[in-house]
Amino acid sequence: MRTALFGRRGRIAKAALVVGAAALALSACSGTGSSGSDDGKVTLTFLSHYGQDPMKSGMTKMIDEWNSSHPDIQVKQQTVNFDDLLTTLNVRQTGGKGADIMSSYSLWGGQLAANGVLDKPSAEVAKDITDNYSTAAAASVTGGSGQVFGYPTEFNTYVLYYNKKILADAGYDKPPATWDELKEIANKTTKKDSSGNYQVVGISLIQDGDNQTAHPFLSLLDSAGGKFLNDKGDSALNSKAKETMQLEADLAKSGATTTSIMPTKTFPSNGVAMAIQAGWWIGSLKSQMKEEYSNVGTAPVPGPKAGEEGSLAYSFFTGVNSGSKHKKEAWEFLTWLNSNKNKEGVTEMGDFLATNGLIPPRKADADILGPKLQAEDANLTPIYDAASYAMAESNAANAYKAKTSLHNALNEILVNNAPVDQTFKNLNAEIDRK
Amino acid sequence: MTGMYASATREATSQLGQTELSAPSKTRSRRFRREGRAGYLFLAPSLLFFLIFLILPSFFAIFLSLSQWGGYDLTQIKFIGVENYSDILNFNSTFLSPILVNTLVFAAMSVVLAVAGSLLVAQCIERLKFQGFWRFLYFLPVVATVVAIGNVWKMMYQPSGLINGLLNALHINSIGFLSDPKIALPSVAVVQAWASIGAAVLILTAGIKSIDRTVYEAAEIDGANSWQTFWGITLPLLRPSLVFVFITQVIAGLQSFALIIVMTKDGGPVNSTNVAAFEMYQQAFKFGAWGTASAMAMVLFVIIFIITLIQLWVSRRSGDDD
Repeated sequence: MRTALFGRRGRIAKAALVVGAAALALSACSGTGSSGSDDGKVTLTFLSHYGQDPMKSGMTKMIDEWNSSHPDIQVKQQTVNFDDLLTTLNVRQTGGKGADIMSSYSLWGGQLAANGVLDKPSAEVAKDITDNYSTAAAASVTGGSGQVFGYPTEFNTYVLYYNKKILADAGYDKPPATWDELKEIANKTTKKDSSGNYQVVGISLIQDGDNQTAHPFLSLLDSAGGKFLNDKGDSALNSKAKETMQLEADLAKSGATTTSIMPTKTFPSNGVAMAIQAGWWIGSLKSQMKEEYSNVGTAPVPGPKAGEEGSLAYSFFTGVNSGSKHKKEAWEFLTWLNSNKNKEGVTEMGDFLATNGLIPPRKADADILGPKLQAEDANLTPIYDAASYAMAESNAANAYKAKTSLHNALNEILVNNAPVDQTFKNLNAEIDRK
Repeated sequence: MTGMYASATREATSQLGQTELSAPSKTRSRRFRREGRAGYLFLAPSLLFFLIFLILPSFFAIFLSLSQWGGYDLTQIKFIGVENYSDILNFNSTFLSPILVNTLVFAAMSVVLAVAGSLLVAQCIERLKFQGFWRFLYFLPVVATVVAIGNVWKMMYQPSGLINGLLNALHINSIGFLSDPKIALPSVAVVQAWASIGAAVLILTAGIKSIDRTVYEAAEIDGANSWQTFWGITLPLLRPSLVFVFITQVIAGLQSFALIIVMTKDGGPVNSTNVAAFEMYQQAFKFGAWGTASAMAMVLFVIIFIITLIQLWVSRRSGDDD
C-alpha cells in the first residue's frame, strides 16, 4: 500500500516536475524584453548593428546624451554585425531575451510584425512618420495592413554610378538616358584581355551582400514602371518585369555584364564603367579613390525611354519589442532620438545619418542638409532626388523569401543565360507558392 | 547438460517457495535496487545532457516539421500535419532538385576525394621517414577553422587568385571556380575533402599499422609486387577503418554547411552550391519558416540513416563484423 502510494506520489511528483520545467521553458520563451527596473530606474536594451565606427561612436554619443538628461530611463547598447542581426533578433526573442528596442532592416519588418515581435506605435508617432518622412522612407516601414513598424533610419536610394573617364575614352560625355543607350555604352566600354579576363565590365548589375542581383534589377524595374510584390506579398511582376529581365539577359549575352566581378572591389580601380548602387557607396568611393573620385559621376537609373527614371529605396527602422515591460519608456526614447533637434534645427538622428553618407529620411532634415551637402558634392543630387520617386522595397512577411527567389531567377539569366519567358513564369509561381 | 542443471535448479527454487529464500532474496533485490539507483544517479548528468540537448530538440524538431512556426514566439506554433513534407517533396520544389541532388553529389564527391586522397597519403607516409611529422602536417587543416580554410581557398579561386594566375601563366583562360554554376560545387567539394583528409589519414595509418607484418613478408616471399600487396592485403585488411572513414565522411558531407556559407555566402551561383543544411538555415533563420526547415532536417536525417545502414550492411556482408 505504502509502495503503491509512493509510486503514485512519485509519478505525480515526476509529472509536476515535467510540467514545471515546461512552464519555465515557455515563460522564458515568451519574448519578454530584458529590461530591468531597480529603484524606479528603468534600463532599456537597444539591439542594433551599429557595432563599428563611425556608426558606433555616433550612436553612442546620442545615447549618452539621453542617459545624462534622463537618469530614470537609461539605455544600454547591444550590437552585432549586420549579417547576424536577424538571427540574433530571432534567437534572443525566442529565448525570452529580446531587447526592448531593436534596429531592423525594413525588408524584415513584415516578418517581425506577423510574428508579433513589434509593438504598434501610438497614433501620434505613426502620424509623425507618415507625414514628416519622405514617401519612400515611410512606405518602407509601413506594412500592408497599415501598421507602422518604427522610425525609419538608414535610408538609401539607388542611382547609376559611372566612370567619366572610361565613358569619355569610349566617346561618351554623358551617362545613358535610355535602356538602348545603356546597352550601347555598356557594350562599348567592356574590355577583356587575351585570356578572356575582364579588364573593364561595361555595367555591373550586382552589389555586395545578400541577394546581390535584386536591388539593381528592382531599380531598373521601377524605371520601367513595374512592381515586385503587392501588399499581401503576392507577385506583382508583369510584362514590365519581363522587359527588365530581357534587358539584363541581353547585357549578359553580349558579355557587357558579369556576376563574377564585384563592383565594390573593381569600380574604384577603374575596372567597371557603370554600376547601379545605393547612395551609401559615395563615402566608400571617396575614401578608396581619393583624387580619382573626380572621375565618378552619378545619374538617375535610366528607363526604357528618355525622361523615364527609377530607383529602389530601402531603409532600416528602430522599433519597440512587443514583449518589453517598458514599451512606453522605449517609445519615449525613440521619439527623442528621432526628433531631438540640434542648433541647426536638424534632428540629431538626421545629422548622424547624413554624416555617415546616408539620406536623412525626415523631410525637414533633408531640406536643410540636402542643399548643403549637394553643394559640396554634386553626385549626391541624383541620390537625394530619387527619394521623391523611388519604389520602396517590399516588407511583406514573405518579402525576404521572394527576394531570394528573384535573385536566383536573375542569376539563372545572368549566369546561365536561361530563357527569360520560362524564368519569369517559374519565378512568379515560386513567389506565389510562398 | 548445463542447461538441464540450470532448469532443475530454477524448478527447485520455485518449489521451495518464497518462505525459505525470501529473506536473502529480498536483501539481494533491495541491494540491486540500491545499486541500480546509484548507477542511475551517476548516469544522471550525462543522461540529462542527452535529454536536454539531443532527445528534446529531436522531438521538438519532429513536432515542428508537422507545424507552421515563424520563430520568435512558442505560443504561435500551429499544427498543420504533413503539409511541410508535401511542400518540399514535390517536383516543383527546389528542395528535391537542385538542393537534395547537390547535397548527395557534394557528399559523394568529397567522400571519394577524401577517402582516395587519405588512402594515398597514408600509404605514402607508411614508406617515409619522420612519419609523425608528415601525419602532423596533414592533420593541420583539421585544426584550422573552417572559416579560415574557406576564405583562403576562396582567395585562391578568385579570377585574379593564385590558381587562375597559374592557369593564365600556362596560357589557359581563367576559370570561374566559384562563379560558374557547373564548377562551383566540385570546387567546394575539393576544399571539403582537403580539409578532412588529415583526420582520415590518422585513422588509416593506424589501420595500416595494425596489419600483421608477417602477411606482407609472406606476400613478398611469394613474389607479390607493391600493387598486388596493396590490393590483396592492405585494402582488404584495412576495410574496418575504411568503413569508419566512409561513414563519417558521408555524414560530414551530407551535413556540410559552414564551408558553403563561407565560400559562396548564399549557396550560389544559381543555387548550384545550395545544400540541405544551408537551405534549412535559410528557411529557419532568414525566412522564418521553421516548419519547412524542420521537415527538411527530418528528410536529411532519414537519408543519412538509410545510407549509413546500407554502408554497415555492405561491410557486414563482406565479413567485417567477424
